Amino acid sequence: MDALDNAIDVQNLTVGYGSKVLLQNLNFSVKNGEIFVILGGSGCGKSSLLKNLFGLYEPLSGDVLIEGQNITTAQGVERQKIMTSFGVMYQQGALFGSMNLLDNVTLFMEEYTHLTRDQMNLLARCKLDLVGLLPYETYMPSEISGGMQKRAAIARAMALDPKILFLDEPSAGLDPITSADLDSTILDLSKNLGFTFVIVSHELASIYSIADKVIMLDKDAKGIIAEGDPKTLRDTSKDPRVHQFFNRIMSKDAA
Amino acid sequence: MGISDANSTISQAPVAIWSQTDAMHAQVTLSGAVNVHSLGGVWTDIRQKQSLWLGQGSAQGHSLVFDASKVSSLDGSAFAFLIDIEEAQQKAGGQFDIQGLDPKYQPLLREFDPIDNLFPVAIAKPKTSFVVSLGMATQDLWDDARGLITFTGHLSADLVWSLRNIRQVRWGDFVNAAVEAGISALPIVGLVAFLIGVILSFQAAIGMEQFGAVTFVGPLAALGIVREMGPLITAILLAGRSSAAFAAEIGTMTVNSEVDALVTGGLSPIRFLVVPRVLAGILVAPILTLFADVVSIFSSMLTMQIYGVPFINFYNGMLAAVDVEDVLSGLVKATLFGVVVSAMGCLRGMQTGTGAAAVGISATRAVVSSIVMIVLVDGIFAYISYRTGF
Repeated sequence: MDALDNAIDVQNLTVGYGSKVLLQNLNFSVKNGEIFVILGGSGCGKSSLLKNLFGLYEPLSGDVLIEGQNITTAQGVERQKIMTSFGVMYQQGALFGSMNLLDNVTLFMEEYTHLTRDQMNLLARCKLDLVGLLPYETYMPSEISGGMQKRAAIARAMALDPKILFLDEPSAGLDPITSADLDSTILDLSKNLGFTFVIVSHELASIYSIADKVIMLDKDAKGIIAEGDPKTLRDTSKDPRVHQFFNRIMSKDAA
Repeated sequence: MGISDANSTISQAPVAIWSQTDAMHAQVTLSGAVNVHSLGGVWTDIRQKQSLWLGQGSAQGHSLVFDASKVSSLDGSAFAFLIDIEEAQQKAGGQFDIQGLDPKYQPLLREFDPIDNLFPVAIAKPKTSFVVSLGMATQDLWDDARGLITFTGHLSADLVWSLRNIRQVRWGDFVNAAVEAGISALPIVGLVAFLIGVILSFQAAIGMEQFGAVTFVGPLAALGIVREMGPLITAILLAGRSSAAFAAEIGTMTVNSEVDALVTGGLSPIRFLVVPRVLAGILVAPILTLFADVVSIFSSMLTMQIYGVPFINFYNGMLAAVDVEDVLSGLVKATLFGVVVSAMGCLRGMQTGTGAAAVGISATRAVVSSIVMIVLVDGIFAYISYRTGF
C-alpha cells in the first residue's frame, strides 16, 4: 500500500507511563477520509493512545506517522507544521475559559492565517453553525452546558480545516438528537470534504452509523483484540470479549 | 507565522481571479486548492472588487458567476468565502451563481442556509449612566458586606461547635495547614524580619546620633518591633502566602463542585474546610510573630554594634522599655490577624465563580481583603490599647 494513502501510520507503538505499560506493540493505519473508531473498556488506555497519536505524550517506544511525517521525532517548526495539520477535541472540551465561543474558534486562525477579523468571524460562525451553536457565539464556556462545551470544542478543532480530527468521546453526555446530528455532521465532513476522523467512543449506536473501521483494545491483552467493520465484528466475532461489548451483555451473563 | 507563510508560497497563482465582462456581468474563476491559507488576502481582494463593481450604476441586476470547474479541493473556509460574496450580492439585489462545482460539495454549500443567520446585526451596548453604575457598585459592596457578616456568623457557630466536639475537628487538615502556613513560612518571615530590624534601627540611629542619643535606639526599635512591626509583617506575609493558598485551594474545590458534594452530603463546608484552616491560622500567627520579634531584635542588636552600642547595653535598655505586657499585646494582635487572614482566604475561596480565571481572581481578592482587614483590626486594636493602656 502506498504510504500516502494513509493519514496515520502506527508502527510498533508502546503506550504507557514510566514503567507502567498500558498497550504494547500496536500496529495499525488509518486511511485518508476514513472514520476510525477506537473502542475498549474504561481504563484500557484509549485516551492515552490518542494522546500518543497526536503527539501530546511521547510513546515509550515505536513511531507515529501523520501523513508520512514522524511526529515522535519531529522538532521545532517541522513539529508545529504537523501539529496544525490536525485538530483535537478533548474529553472535557478544554475551551479557554476567558474567551467567548467565537474567540475560542478564531484564536488559532489569528495565529496561522492572513484573514481579516470579519472573515475569521464569519468562518468561525460557519463552524459554530455546523455544531448547532450559532446562537451562542457570545457566550462564555462557563455559561453553557457540558454537551455544548464539547460541541464548541469540535468547532474549535475544525478552525483551520485540518485534514485529520481527533475526537475524544464526542457523543458522551449528549442527548440522542444532538448526538445523531453530530454523527451526520461527521459523516458529511468525512464524505464530502475528505476529513479523516479518529474517534474514541463508547456509543454503540453512533459507532454503527459512522465508523468505517474500529479497533478494540483490551486491558489484559495490552493490545488490539479485534479490528474491522463494527457490524461484521458484532455478527461474526468469535471472541467472547468482543461479542459481549457489541451486544451489551452484562458480565455475569457472559460468564 | 512560519507555517502560514510556507503554505501561501506553495500556491503561486491566486486561487480566485476577478474578471468583468460588462457593467452588469462579472466572473470569479476559482482554481487549485482553495483553503484557509490560500484565501488569505485573496478573499479581501475579491470582496473589494465586488463592492466597487456593485457601487457602479444601479445595483439591481448585477450578475456574478463563480466558475469552480478548475478547483482541486475546497475546505470550510472556501464555503465561508462563497457565503460572504453571496450575502453581499443579495444585499445589493444582484444575482449570484456557482458553475462547475463538484456535486460532492453541493450539500455543504446549502448546509448554512439561510445565510443571513451568519451575519448578525451588531447590537449597540446600552450605555450605563453614572448613577446606575454607582448604584450597582453600592449594591455589590452591600452584598459583599452581608456575605462577610453571614460568613462570620457561620464560622463563629462552627468554631464553638468544634470546641464542644473537639474529636470531630479535621485534625489532619489542621496539621497540614499549620505546617504549610507555619513551618514553611519560617525562612521568608525570618528574612523579612531581619531586614526590618536592620532598617528600623539604622534609620533611627542616623537621626539620634546628632543628639548623642544612640543608646535609646535599642529600646525604641525593640518596642516598635514587639508591639507593631512583628505582628504586622507576619500577618502581611501570611496574607500573601497562606490566604492566597487557602483561596486557591478552596476555589479549585468550588470550581470542581467538591464543595457542592460536601453540602449535598449534609456536611458543613465551613466546619470541614474553614475551621481547620482558621485554627491553623490561630496557632501559627503568634508563633511566627514571636519568631519575627526575636529575629528583628537580634538584627537590630547587630546593627547597633556599628554605632558602638554593646549587646549588654542594648539588652538592658530594652528590658527597661519593653514589658511582658507589650509582648503579649503584640501576640494577641497577631492571633487576631491570624483569624482574619485565614478566614478571608477561605471566604474568597468559597465565593469563587466558574472557570480557571475565577480561581486567580479569588486568590487576588483574598490577599487584598486580608490586608484591608489587617489594617482595620490594627486600627481598632490601637484605639482600644490607647484607651485601656494595654
